[in-house]
Amino acid sequence: MSFGDGPDGLLTNKDVSEKSHNQPRMFYGWYIIAALFFATFLSIGARQGFGVFVKTWEEDWAVSTAAISFAAAIGTLVNGFSQPVFGWLTDKFGGRPVLLASFFVTGLATAGVATISSVLGLMVLYGFIISFSSGGIGFQTTGVIVARWFEKKRGVAMAVLVSGGSVGGLVFVPFLSYLLIEVGWQAAWIITGLIALLIGIPLLLIVVKSKPDDIGLTIDGVDPNSEEGLHGSADAVGPKFVDKWFDALSSRPIWQLSFGYFVCGITTTSIGVHFVRWANSEDITTGTAALAFGLLSGINAAGVLVVGLLSDRFQRKNLLGGVYLVRGLAFLTLIFLPGDIALWAFAVIGGMSWLATVPLTASLTADVYGVRNLGMLFGLANMSHAFGGALAVFLFGWAFTNWGSYNVPFVVGAITLLAAGVVCLSISEKTNSVRFNRISQSNELDSGSVTAGAS
Amino acid sequence: MPNPLETVLHHSEPIDPTLWEWLSLKIDDVLGLHSSAMVFILGAVTVLFPVVVMLLVWRRHRITRRD
Repeated sequence: MSFGDGPDGLLTNKDVSEKSHNQPRMFYGWYIIAALFFATFLSIGARQGFGVFVKTWEEDWAVSTAAISFAAAIGTLVNGFSQPVFGWLTDKFGGRPVLLASFFVTGLATAGVATISSVLGLMVLYGFIISFSSGGIGFQTTGVIVARWFEKKRGVAMAVLVSGGSVGGLVFVPFLSYLLIEVGWQAAWIITGLIALLIGIPLLLIVVKSKPDDIGLTIDGVDPNSEEGLHGSADAVGPKFVDKWFDALSSRPIWQLSFGYFVCGITTTSIGVHFVRWANSEDITTGTAALAFGLLSGINAAGVLVVGLLSDRFQRKNLLGGVYLVRGLAFLTLIFLPGDIALWAFAVIGGMSWLATVPLTASLTADVYGVRNLGMLFGLANMSHAFGGALAVFLFGWAFTNWGSYNVPFVVGAITLLAAGVVCLSISEKTNSVRFNRISQSNELDSGSVTAGAS
Repeated sequence: MPNPLETVLHHSEPIDPTLWEWLSLKIDDVLGLHSSAMVFILGAVTVLFPVVVMLLVWRRHRITRRD
């Protein structure tokens, strides 16, 4: 109870005004987003930066690009497998310890890359250890922390988190490149490891909490004594919330979302690998293709934030379906427009949809199934994304080698995107999502069952 | 089999070294800064952001404790 200067020790308007003036105005969840943004920035920036060192390693170790590529390929697969593992660990122990342990191991191993003198060492340290441990800094860990802190602004919070990866590519990859020139590759890896250990770990230790209760707050920063706090988001459950992750597999939305995410993996990873080859086959130079892909990346960073903002106002499944259909349209430009026009049309239209699926899929999964098993469910979706991508990269290459054209793979890409769009639009969000159909836990306990009711 | 290093800037795959070489030349052409200046600028951006976040959280904890 508070005592003020008013009659009978009650608080006066002045007391209330002074108290509210001193209270932190910004919801603590946004500090968590800032810290996780940095974790994503560093993790994805460093992984993308691997490519900067390839030519130096080739010269220093007298090995082929293929040998170094093999270490990278192992890393991609190991990282894909690690995602459900870390998702499960996040659900069991909370995001903070998983994130801290992963960051510590990744930072230490990253600095350790400086001691490597052969491709075998690179395979062990980068292909297995770093690729596995960095899975714990992925969206199945950071996304779960965000989902536990935000419900009303979950879409935009996830979008800011995802954009950390884009900014990491834009800032940290050049940083590594210039470090390589100035101090050599060994020192560049040591500096990266030290940034993770000496700046990343203290940041996560000081700022990140797995959930709002850990510091006496509630989701979205709602006052627990207010009307909204008593009957609102903190204790709300949705009709499809599950206690065990595998219970979700018997419902439709998880399959609809996973199918969409699988198609996302097919269509983004294949384009990432084959875009320049396709451009070269259309007599477009590598430099122009790179510039177009740079434009795509820039538009994608802005697009993901816009979609995040919109997703907190409108049904997320409509935006998700729309994103897949827009990307399908981008694929059609590659088939029907002449090469140079198709290049820029794809960069603009495709850029709007490139990463926008990530915050929408993560938010929708959390809205439908709750956050208790979100790590495992989103980890499985991420794994399907990675494997869909790996399969598509191989099949696109096979098609081009055998048929001398990308037209058939692009038609297949457009059809799968159309299917993903339709499937996502068919998700019954108003029936299944806690945003539209919420039941308080007390009601659930009173009635002994979870019953859908319109809000 | 396509080279996995040719995957560019999507999620966390390594950047294509050939594309990066071309892009870094373009950055040098446009900005015209010495590589040590770029290390300093990009390093400062990388380090200052988390330091500022930690300071803001420390300040917030102090205000909350004082109340």
